[in-house]
Formats: sequence, C-alpha cells, structure tokens
Amino acid sequence: MPVKILKVEDGSAFILERIMYTKRYTLSLDRNKCVGCDLCIAACPKEAIKIVNPSDLADIENPPKKITVKVLEDKCNFCGICSEICIFGAFKQSVNDEEFIPVLKSESFPEVIHEVEVDEGKCPIGCKVCEEACPLSLIKVKWNGELEGKVKVEIDKDHCPVCRICEVKCPYNAIHTRKIISGLIKVNIDLCPEGCRACVDACPIPNVLFISNEGKVSVNDSFCVYCGACKNACPVEGAIDLRRISVHHTPVKSGAWNKALERLTSTGNMAKELRSKSIFKTYESVKKLHVRSRVSK
Amino acid sequence: MSVKHESEDLRVGVFVCHCGLNIAGVVNVKEVVEYAKTLPNVVFAIDNRYTCSDPGQEEIRKAVKEHKLNRVVVAACSPRMHEPTFRRCVDEAGLNPYLFEMANIREHCSWCHPSTPKEATEKAKEIVKMAVSKARLLRPLEPIEVPVASTALVVGGGVAGINAALELAEMGFKVYLLEKNESIGGHMAQLDKTFPTLDCSICILGPKMVDVARHPNIEIISFADLLSVEGYIGNFKVRIRKNPRYVLEEKCTGCGECLPACPIEFPNDWDMNLGVRKAISVPFPQAVPLVYRINRDYCIECYKCIDACGPRQAINFDQKPEEIELKVGTIIVATGYDIYLPEEGNLYGYGKYSNVITSLEFERLILAAGPTGGHVVRASDGKMPKVVVFVQCVGSRDVNKYPYCSNFCCMYTLKHTIQLKEHYGSDVEVYVFYMDMRSNFKGYEEFYYRAREMGVNFIRGRVSKVIEDPETKNLLIHAEDTLLGEPIELEAELVVLATAAIPNKGIEEIARILNVTRGTDGFFMESHPKLKPLDTPVDGIFLAGACQGPKDIPYSVSQGCGAAARAATILSKPSVKIEPIISVVDPEKCRNTKVKCGICATKCPYGAIKAEPGMPAQVISAMCHGCGTCAAECPADAITQMHFTDAQIFAQIEAALEKNPEDKILGFCCNWCSYAGADLAGTSRFEYPTNIRIVKTMCSGRVDRDFVLEAFRRGAGMVLIGACHLPYDCHYIDGNWKMKARMEALAKALEKMGLTPDRFRIEYISAAEGSKFAQVVREMAEKLRDMGRERIIIENEKLRPYLERMLGKKR
Repeated sequence: MPVKILKVEDGSAFILERIMYTKRYTLSLDRNKCVGCDLCIAACPKEAIKIVNPSDLADIENPPKKITVKVLEDKCNFCGICSEICIFGAFKQSVNDEEFIPVLKSESFPEVIHEVEVDEGKCPIGCKVCEEACPLSLIKVKWNGELEGKVKVEIDKDHCPVCRICEVKCPYNAIHTRKIISGLIKVNIDLCPEGCRACVDACPIPNVLFISNEGKVSVNDSFCVYCGACKNACPVEGAIDLRRISVHHTPVKSGAWNKALERLTSTGNMAKELRSKSIFKTYESVKKLHVRSRVSK
Repeated sequence: MSVKHESEDLRVGVFVCHCGLNIAGVVNVKEVVEYAKTLPNVVFAIDNRYTCSDPGQEEIRKAVKEHKLNRVVVAACSPRMHEPTFRRCVDEAGLNPYLFEMANIREHCSWCHPSTPKEATEKAKEIVKMAVSKARLLRPLEPIEVPVASTALVVGGGVAGINAALELAEMGFKVYLLEKNESIGGHMAQLDKTFPTLDCSICILGPKMVDVARHPNIEIISFADLLSVEGYIGNFKVRIRKNPRYVLEEKCTGCGECLPACPIEFPNDWDMNLGVRKAISVPFPQAVPLVYRINRDYCIECYKCIDACGPRQAINFDQKPEEIELKVGTIIVATGYDIYLPEEGNLYGYGKYSNVITSLEFERLILAAGPTGGHVVRASDGKMPKVVVFVQCVGSRDVNKYPYCSNFCCMYTLKHTIQLKEHYGSDVEVYVFYMDMRSNFKGYEEFYYRAREMGVNFIRGRVSKVIEDPETKNLLIHAEDTLLGEPIELEAELVVLATAAIPNKGIEEIARILNVTRGTDGFFMESHPKLKPLDTPVDGIFLAGACQGPKDIPYSVSQGCGAAARAATILSKPSVKIEPIISVVDPEKCRNTKVKCGICATKCPYGAIKAEPGMPAQVISAMCHGCGTCAAECPADAITQMHFTDAQIFAQIEAALEKNPEDKILGFCCNWCSYAGADLAGTSRFEYPTNIRIVKTMCSGRVDRDFVLEAFRRGAGMVLIGACHLPYDCHYIDGNWKMKARMEALAKALEKMGLTPDRFRIEYISAAEGSKFAQVVREMAEKLRDMGRERIIIENEKLRPYLERMLGKKR
C-alpha cells in the first residue's frame, strides 16, 4: 500500500501527516508562533526544514506575512527533534493524535530546559507586572476565588523562549530564570542598508533590537534569546553576527544531539560540551572509587 | 568463389519427415524426396513418418552405413528443436556430428502456409536445396572441452531458490544463494496460510530457511546485488555488490537489544507499508540471516544502538559496499515476481479510498504477527468490516494491463474467504466477484466447495466501478452478474483486490546481465515450453519458480528441485563440451601483420581476440562465444566462423535464389531472436506468403555486407535482416548494434546506387514476436508485389556492375 503523505499548508499552519494503516504521524507547525528563526533548521538531522519567504508561498491560501519555515515531506522522518528544539513551541509532533516525541523517550535528544521559576510567596495580591511585561503573553496571574488570598502565577513554559524580561521587571525579585541559549549578538552597522529595519521587525522580543537616535540599529543583549530570526531577515550577509555558545538541556549521550549542537553553536562549543561530559564522567567514577575504598577500609 | 574442396567423394543423404500430418498435411513429401534425389551429390533420399522417433533415427544410422553417407540432411522441424537429437544420431552412426544439416520445413513452411500447399511444396524443396548446398561444404568439427567449476549460484532466495540451493547442497555442491533483500524467504514468508491445507506459511518455510543458513555447503549472500556475469557454461565469473547494513554480519547475534533503543520508525515494505519498523531492525522476526540493518535514509545517528549493542560491537557506521567475485559452474535464476499495485489511475479506488486494499495487504492484516495482530480492520475507522468484497482478476486477464492469468489469485482468494469465515463466522458477509474460478490442482476444487459450504457468495462478473461513500467510507460496488445477466449494486465495508502477479522490478537488469530473454509478458522465457521448461537459451543458466511466470508454492518448489537437478547434470561432470562454432583467423590473410588493424579485437563483444602489433590476430577458443561478428567485420576476410563459413552461407544464398530470385525475400535471421520468432510464427500458425527464404546465423552480427550484396547480385527481390531488439536483447551482448552500424551504412550506399529503400529492411524481432515476424513478411511480400518483377529486374541490372565490383575480391 502506498504510504500516504498529507500536506496541508496555509499562512497560519503547516501540517505534515504520514498516514499508514495502523499508525498516523502528525507534525504540525503553528505559523503564528513560528518566528522564522533557524533553530529547527540547524537541529534537523535530515535537513528536512527550509526557510520560506512570504513571496515563495504567494500561491497558498492567506499566505503568511513574515518569514517562516516549511518541512520537506520526502525528507522528514517524524523524529520530533524540531518540536523539542523550537524554543517558541511552534512545532508539535504526535502519533495517533497523542503528543509524542520519539527522540525524547529514547534519550536520543535532550529536553531543552525552559527554566522559569516563580516564588509565589513573594507575590503581593494585585501585582500583575510580569503578566503585563511578557512580550508573548504567556503569564497569567491569579488570586481570586478558591485560591483564598494566595497568588498563583501560571506560565506557559512550553512556549516561553525565556527572554528574562519578567525577571528583570519583577519588583519583588520573585522570578528566577535561566536563558535557554547563551550567546553573543553584534550588528555591524556599517553594512546596514539605509533605512532598513528588517531585523527589528523580525525579532520576536521587543526592544532587543531597536533603532537608536542616530537612526542605526542597536542591540540590547540582555533579553536576546539568540534564535537567529533577525539574521534570516537581514538582507545583507554578515551584517548580523550571532554566535550561540551553549544550550540549556538535560544531560544525554547522543550522536544526534552532538551534531545538532555543533550546527547550533560551533564545533568548538560542541567539543567543549563533550569534554565537560567526560570530565563529569571521570569525576563520577573517581567519586565511586573513593567511596568504595572508604567502605573497604 | 574460392572454396577449397578436398578431394573427397561427397555422399549426401536426405531424410524428409512427415511429422505425422504436421508436414505431410501441407507439403507433398514424396515430391520433395524425388526432388532431393536430383540435387548434386545426393546419393540417397527417403521420407519417414517421424524421423525423430527411434525407428526414424535407426533408418538414418542404417542409411549412413549402407550408402556410405558422409553428409546428412534432415528436412523436418526447427533445428532449435531437434538439431541436438539428430547430431547425436549421426554421431552414433560414426559420422562427425557437424556433418549434419537441418532443413526447417515445419515451422518455416508447412505450419505457416497451410492454404497454399503447392507453393509450400516448392518452398520446402528450396529449403532442402539450401540445406544440401550448405551440407556439401560442412567440415567435421571437434567440440571444445572446458573444465567445470563445481559451484552454483542461485539468484533469488524465495521458496524456489531455497529449494534449489538445498537440493544442490545436499548433492555435495557448494552453493551461493544471492538475495537482494535483507532476508531470504521471498513472498512465501509474507503469507499467513497456504492453500488448500491452511498450513501456517512461515511455520513450514521457516525451518527450511534455517536449514539453508546452517548448511555447510550454502553461503547466503543477502542484501546484495548482481553486478555482472561473464563467461560461459561451467565457468561463469560473477560480480556481486554486498550493500552495507552498518551492522557486521559476523558479530550481530540477532538479540534485538538495539531495537528498543532506536527512536525512529519507518514504513515496513515487508508489511506492505501497513506497519512500521525501526531504523535499526530486521524486516520480520524469522528473518534469515538474522542480522539487523540500519536504514541510513531514516537514521538520525544518535548512536543509541551502539550503546545497546555494547561489548558485541556489531555496529559500524563506516561500513562500505563491498564487491566480491565468484566463479560458478551454473546459475539458477529464481528471482520471483512482484504484486501489481494499481495506484496509477486509482483502479477500483485503490490508493484513493482507504478501505480498498490488495490481497497481499489482506494477507498481512489477517496474519497474527502482522501490524494489526491478525485483526481484519478497516483503515478508516479501525473497525471490523461486516461486508467484505473480493474482486478477482485486477490487472490480470486484462488486455490493457496484463493479459495473462496470474495463476494463483483464485486460490488465495478462496483461502482468504475461508479464513474470514473461520475467524468471524456469520458476523461477516463475504462476496467474490470473479470471471472464472480456476482451481485446477490437487485438492483445489474441494477447497472451492468448502468456501461455498461456509457461505461465501460467488458472483460471476466483472466489477465496473467502486465508489466511496464520503461519510461512512463504505464502498458502493457496481457490477454485472453475467450469470443472471443483470447489473447489481452492493455496499461493502472492505474491498480486497486480487491484483496481478507481474515480473519483478529488477527483471530487466537481471535479463541484461544474464543475457536471458523475456517473453511478451515480461517474465523470463524458457528454452522450450514443453520439453525444456527449466532451461534458458544460455547454456548453464536455468530458471525456477515465478520468474518464468506466476506459480504457486508446490509448483515453485518442484521447479526449484528440478532446476537443481538440471544444474547438477553439469556440475557433476569434470568438464563440458562446448560447441566448436568458434572463429578462426587465417594468419596468412590477416592484415594485422602488415598494418595496424585489430578491428576484430575491438569488435569482439567478449574480448576473445588478441591482435598484437605485427602479429596475426588470435582467437582464444574458450572465450569465443561463436557470434561471428568478427568474421563479418574483418576487412581482409581472414576470419572464418566454423559451421557458418562465408562459403557455406554463399552456397545457401545461391541455392535460395537460383529460381525466380526477383520473387523472393532473402532473410538472415539470428538464432536466438528472429529465427525463433519465425519458429513461433509457425508454431502459432500465423500464415504469411511463401516468398521468404531464411538463412540462419548465430547472431545478426555475423551478417556480412557481402551476403547482402551477393543476394542482390543474384537478383533477390528483397533482403531482410532479423535481429534481437536493441539495446540489450542480443545474446552476444551487442552483435545487433554492430550489425546496425554496418547495415545502415550499407543501406545508404545501396540507395545511392539506385536500390529502392524498401527492398532492404532491418527488423528487430524477439523470440516472442511470432506475429511481428509474420506481419513483416506480409508487408514485404505486398511491397514486392506492388513493385512488380519487371521493375526489380531492371533495377537489379542497373545495380549489378556496382555489386560485382564491390564483391570483386570474393569472386
């Protein structure tokens, strides 16, 4: 029986399905959440994801207005890596309608840690600073009803790229975050075309990139999530220098992850992680030895 | 012509066969005998009822002794049929077997001219005359003896190949079993039950597969491709590419611990893509050899399998394809068949409607170890269907698709209906739409009655269309009940299509590599449909199983064992004799001694000729396949192909065109394709005009320009060259291409001299195209008649001086 591959695409969604007699694999992309960055493209082991400009998709129904991505149906093997690496949670992978990321189960890929913790004890009733500050509207602060005077802060972590705005804005020091990706970003303003603000428009976090008083693009590094959407939007090669250094993730030992990390950061940074892993391993084994020798004594 | 006649007293005996009424019913045999007696050097002529029978052969032996015959001509059937028989007979009479010639007056005469007995008799006489003319020039030849490698290659590890390999191995021969898939087993390993006994298929095949793996004389080469085959009977050189599994065969224990570690799944084609398998896996648990394989198309290289494999260290991502070379004495081809998937055009909604499946897919559904755990469910809702309709002859017995009957579909459909009834009883209604129920072997008819008794409804008629209800996904079937003669409609919840068995996907490539012909149906063609069902025209290569046409399991098993026996007849001897119809270079005439020539060496398809500078060219006898291309190409006429010498063929041309040449079409036909095509025209009783006279060569590459020139010089009305189809059908690799290059240039030259282009024709006719041969002759005869004798005679007179000049050196 021919394997049925179903592709549905419009401006707000891209759905790829592999329908077989006994199983159905679905990979869906929410284009409203997709910022047109290159995390999934770099992480995909099969090079199945490509960047698309709105002009490439002019013939589909209500085409998207900004840069986004598409998945090549002949290359995708539904491993789920894209859906894990997307810090905005734009991809969703499911098998028989149940969300399922095969590579996580087998520890072939780490879980990317969205670390946003709120010490709700510090929150006074009535404060909604974080809720208002969140650029992606992912925070809901509640205190009414059954909560009986306690404050509850609900954060949609799956879709949170951890820009840290909430942490900085919180007047009570109640929020602790840790960036998912650490890195460096520089704009070489000498290369910027006159009046261009493509990167500013592409950036999903407000005020990371802005036009300064001199009319040039400036960067506020502290809230940058290092997704690379600006770089994809930039019309000039080399005007934006984005370097990722590390990705905050659960420990795994996987060739697929090493290769993804190499593409996401650099060979040097991937090697650094490998080295630290082996140091960790040595440390663990030494510790075990030490304990054993103490016990034997 | 410079023909050296040894001072030998030629004594030719002619034996004309009645073949019952096959020949005598049309041709006046007595008249042919009387005519034969008048031919030069014929000292004895007689007719027999059946020359090939024992008394017939005895008569030849007696006559050779009594009349001191030293040349024998038998006018009977095709030499492709009985030449070996009569050669043996002549040999027994104490005569060299190559002093025998056959006149084909059955396939080429009586069978294809039944309504013109007078003309047929005249044609028969001339065929005999041609044979006698050639016979007078025959020379005794000694067969070449070559050693035999006592190993065999079996291509294809299905049930036929498995049995062939096991039989040969049991006889003590080393066998290489080549399989392109990961596991041996073939289609039989995919099946749930077998008809009519309802034995579990893998339960009876599995042990055999294990026997193969364990047998010390068998080496399984799986997941490998056949690259090339060179050589000849007893001495084939085979190159094979082993594709990388990225799992080392010698280290993998088949434990399967890597399986749960792998995160990636992909459609399992073993399950007809109904289910999935892991990127590292075996196609099915009983696979032999039980070696896992990583599908790099899907693998994401997380290396979790390496961890799981641990100290066994069986996984190696750096594995490369490996080429190996084997030397084998014989080859058994058992490459099997494929199932037709009517995706294109969505026949009966297949591929478009989710509840229309093929029988092989049904097989995987009802199999307990299959992707649904043996539950027959619909793809649309996962529910058990209450009404199941089976549609027979999908693609087969269809002149627009596959006109042949696929042999086993009726029986497997009966099996499926019985299985459904056994599983679900009265919960399921079963209908079968059939054209004819064919249940023609032991226990099969009883099986049909069993299905009827279980309440399966049989409706005779072809389904015209299937329409899906978009809501329920049920299928509305439109058909005609041809027994009641009225249209019927039926709502089914599942439709199962019994699709045609078709030639394997790679059969074209295998046919090209092995030089084995295929029939019009695309399957391999046997040497003789009745008497050599397992042989191919290539000595030392045999067929078994469904690669020759759809066959069920017992038939395939018998063929596997039979092919093993055929192979063993070669392998059990230390050497074989090969026909000495090879080329010989006359060192006196060879130009290579004086100038840099070496044309023969470049034209030889087998590299069997060495032409060192300053030395006469040399033919390596054991490598020469006897196509005669070199003889036709040699600019100095220094090369002679034994048994097909220039002189012999010139004598045949002369004999054919002695009387009324302008009315005749002289055909040069290659032994394997066009001559066999002409035979098939006779066997099929296609009638065509009697004008054609056929000269047989082994390959169209042998047809010298001089033959064509001589034919026109002698006034031939038309000349036809029949060859194997381009590009790959030639039995001598590319003799047809050499002929094409040579003859297209000649045709241009002849046209310039004033020859009407229609009078010289090149046709590519396969052994299966009897109707094409008849059609070509009909067309040519018609054109000949349209042109009229007068015009041809005038044209020939104009051509003659040119032709004589061109033939100067020969004359």
